[in-house]
Amino acid sequence: MMRLEDLFPGLAAGGYRITSPRDKDYNCIAWAAGDSRNWWWPDPDLEEEYWPPGHPRERTVSAFQGVFIALGYSVCSGEEVEPGFEKLALFADELGKPTHAARQLSGGRWTSKLGKAEDIEHALHDVAGEVYSSVVLLMKRPVPGTGPATSESP
Amino acid sequence: MASIPLKQTPDAPPAETLEQRFHRLAATWDEATAYLSSMEEASKHPAYQEIIGMGQAVVPLLLRDLQEQHRHWFIALRQITGAQPIPKEAAGNVPQMVEAWVRWGKDNGYR
Repeated sequence: MMRLEDLFPGLAAGGYRITSPRDKDYNCIAWAAGDSRNWWWPDPDLEEEYWPPGHPRERTVSAFQGVFIALGYSVCSGEEVEPGFEKLALFADELGKPTHAARQLSGGRWTSKLGKAEDIEHALHDVAGEVYSSVVLLMKRPVPGTGPATSESP
Repeated sequence: MASIPLKQTPDAPPAETLEQRFHRLAATWDEATAYLSSMEEASKHPAYQEIIGMGQAVVPLLLRDLQEQHRHWFIALRQITGAQPIPKEAAGNVPQMVEAWVRWGKDNGYR
């Protein structure tokens, strides 16, 4: 089995922590949206993936942005911790196709569900590179309980 | 007339069984696509496509692995069998999708 550090070299330098065992039942977008029971992805005409109703099933930054806006997020510019807000980061490849999302923890580190593999805690850009490319969008919302309801989760 | 001794040829490696071939390909695919979220993109991997090419014979192995490992064989099963037993409301819920396929397998004489 290939080591995480081989695929994500940044993790070796920045340090990371595995926070869950491998799990094939949910993925990064679900995890960023606070859902650990479903597999979220918008492949067109694919009936095996969840995507919130009413949002275009297309692999574009705007489609993902629209889903997270519906969950109470708005676009922001900085990745630093802002008290009272939680943030997420969307990664996309050089063609603008989303590849991954990470969610900020209260202490400023980030949490990622790596596809069908583990959840890890890491520095944001340490998972950038060949697999997920780079951060293209940052969003934030008030910490749940103080912001809009997330009624779109299945 | 003197007989010429037959030259011993080394034993050919035993042929891979269907099950061995499936597990080899499944392990290759699993590792290569572990960090992807797109089921469609993962299904395009050559090992996954080779499993689809194994046809009906591999369906029992897919169903068993799906139930035990929750590996995402949904596209392969749909393409091989032409069936889609997953109800729309279960889309993305892997345990429910697995259950739907396992039930389909039982209803169709697998196991």
